[in-house]
Amino acid sequence: MENFSEVLSLFFVWDNFIAIAIGVFLGVVIGAIPGLTTTMAVALALPFTFSMEPVSAILLLVGIYKGGMYGGSITAILIRTPGTPASACTLLDGYPMAQNGEAKKALKMSLYSSVIADIISNISLIFFAAYLAKIALNFGAPEFFWLICFSLTIIVSLSGASVLKGFLAAALGLMISLVGLDPVYGSQRLTFDDYNLMDGISFIPLLIGLFAIPEVIDFYQRKVASKIVINANGKEVSWSEFKRCLKTIVRGSFIGVIIGAIPGSGATAAAFISYSEARRKSPNRENFGKGEIEGVAAAEAGNNGVAGATMIPLLSLGIPGDVVTAIILGAFMIHGLTPGPLMFQDNLSLIYALFIGIMVSSLFLLVVGLGAIKYFSKIADVPKEILFPIIVMFCVYGAYAVNNNTFDIWLMMGFGVLGYIFNKTGIASAPFLIGFILGPMFEDNLRRSLLIGNYDMSIFFRGPITWFFIVLTLGSIFFSFKRWLAYRNK
Amino acid sequence: MKIKNAVIAISLATSSVVMGLGASTVYADWPTKDIHLVVPYSAGGNTDVLSRQVADLLQKELDVNIIVENRPGAGSTVATGRLARGGRDADHTILMASPGHVIGASIYPNLPYDAVSDFKFIEKLLDAPNIMVVPSSSPYNTVAEFITAAKSKPMTFSHPGVGSSIHMSGELFKTLTKTKLTAVPFPGSGAALPALLSGDVDVSFENASTVLPHIQSGGLKALAVTSKTRFKALPNVPTVIETEGYDLGGFVTTVWNGVIAGNDFPDEGVEVLQAALQRVKERKEFTEFIDKMGAEKSSVSGEEFKSFIASEVERWKMVAEEAGVRQN
Repeated sequence: MENFSEVLSLFFVWDNFIAIAIGVFLGVVIGAIPGLTTTMAVALALPFTFSMEPVSAILLLVGIYKGGMYGGSITAILIRTPGTPASACTLLDGYPMAQNGEAKKALKMSLYSSVIADIISNISLIFFAAYLAKIALNFGAPEFFWLICFSLTIIVSLSGASVLKGFLAAALGLMISLVGLDPVYGSQRLTFDDYNLMDGISFIPLLIGLFAIPEVIDFYQRKVASKIVINANGKEVSWSEFKRCLKTIVRGSFIGVIIGAIPGSGATAAAFISYSEARRKSPNRENFGKGEIEGVAAAEAGNNGVAGATMIPLLSLGIPGDVVTAIILGAFMIHGLTPGPLMFQDNLSLIYALFIGIMVSSLFLLVVGLGAIKYFSKIADVPKEILFPIIVMFCVYGAYAVNNNTFDIWLMMGFGVLGYIFNKTGIASAPFLIGFILGPMFEDNLRRSLLIGNYDMSIFFRGPITWFFIVLTLGSIFFSFKRWLAYRNK
Repeated sequence: MKIKNAVIAISLATSSVVMGLGASTVYADWPTKDIHLVVPYSAGGNTDVLSRQVADLLQKELDVNIIVENRPGAGSTVATGRLARGGRDADHTILMASPGHVIGASIYPNLPYDAVSDFKFIEKLLDAPNIMVVPSSSPYNTVAEFITAAKSKPMTFSHPGVGSSIHMSGELFKTLTKTKLTAVPFPGSGAALPALLSGDVDVSFENASTVLPHIQSGGLKALAVTSKTRFKALPNVPTVIETEGYDLGGFVTTVWNGVIAGNDFPDEGVEVLQAALQRVKERKEFTEFIDKMGAEKSSVSGEEFKSFIASEVERWKMVAEEAGVRQN
């Protein structure tokens, strides 16, 4: 490449390294604090980038994004409070691991998995961007609809002991997701004329309430001080464990890449799909949800796999796939750059400098992550009598901080009680969450397909992608049913 | 035990500070303390990015901190309602309004405030046109061709959410041209773009900043701009009004941003802010910034701003009723 020296001179300046380091560090810390989302951090950092060189500016934002994606898992594992929505899935096995005294192992596995997924995602961005972008453009509402149908089949594998209870929880999550304005007509649904409900139930208060609060209630109800010791100094990830998880990590990373490349899907869904696929394929299936290291690896691979891939539609098509990339798009524009096919013609050196930076940011994530584990894991050594009140404080703050609205605090507490009831009655929280996340996507894409196709059903069978997901969906249902039969006859 | 109780006490105290509301204070001079600039949307959108830039420049003019606060909800009406209610810091709180202010007023009849009389209109900062775009594969090259086709067969337009200016522009176009257009909602412009580029939907009235790059790269065709006069970034693209054979005089929809405050805001503050914001608009940083957003400077202020809002509310109310998106 003739511009190679230009690429190197664009990248190898101190500013870039400092930008990446600060970005990843901020991302990990902010990601770890419940209620402070990566989106918020990126938006807050944006004005600071106005005066920076374009490459440093974008790398700072990308660093925050990647750091945040990992950071969320720290508090999910240690105190059952997902720092970001995408880390909700990590908690399913991460927290039980921490309770078994394996906090350090869980945190490390989550970091290794994040970094590997990140690198795979970057490589996909660099080498397959054009190809994946083409898929993304062919991914319209009907294709999305079938992807969601397939994703909904994972409810079965996340239901725990009782599939019936799992479906009940999913249905409840679905119902709660209906609150708010109708997406097509804008009429109010279940809002009781209350302005706080107009935009629907906020995700973060629900998440924090559902997972963190039940632990707190449980602790004070039992009044048993620190019976389960969360020991942060536990064992490291062994080589055999790492080898066992590697396949899951690679699979999860690719799931993340595909989902990330499609605009408008999101890291949370990717984490859950990766998790459920890992469970389906694992010989340790029964151990999932009880502290299975593979579960942590799968969830983190899924959500970090998304991080690099969301840059695919942004860089190659100029389409932001989520809110964070929309902000990054803003940063490009401020610097007079327009992501899209033209950028590959006009600013190729800059793109390659960015690619190098994005790769470097994954390595920084490893370094910053190891440091973060060292300090954050001290949280686990804090006596629970002191830790729990602080957790409650963070829950209240986190719920409030999202919309600066006190209503969300009550909402969070309400979901806390619901989560507690779920725990006591043996209903798994994960299907509830899946219903809540995927329900609106299911409805939106179903109705959007019908509108686009002028109510002609053939739009749902319009091409190879729709058929691909139809087959996957039917296959998934069939195998779940078969397994259920085998389980019942046992 | 002592430590435990202390921690509980501190936690509870902090929680109740967050949940509680303080008392309001009135000061003689203005500004006497930090100013809160409320953004009625989540962080990261156009209005948010603009607000942060304006806050930065305003800070240099006024010598106090400008704190940007995001209060999203119900298409900006949650934050706007709170502004109207006044209360703590009302004398130092301003809000970055956008078309959501008038559209909100036209689609929700039960708003706890009046979009015109409950506010002080300080300074309108910018205007940006929407652009009527079709996929590059579309057989239509002019607005007239498009209208003719849309009268004979059902067609679709994309928009990033019910009640957005883009949605209402589409509805207005449908009403004025009596065409068979169906609105297809997407969660944001980013999600709507692929459907437009791939031809899943037939047309959109997107914000200039969103579609300009795609017009330049050839992914989309611009049929017209929705402003009163042609747009300087696309001098060869006609306005919708110019369409021959149709009376589309009423079709002017621009995206604007302006600073407003509640009625508890002191008049002295309005004057200080008007002067400061006018100086901000003259700054090079501001001009460059809005250039990149595909926007143009607005010179509307005070009473003129207020009458603009009043006429916009009336207009969108009619469109919303016609389109059936007015809530009852």
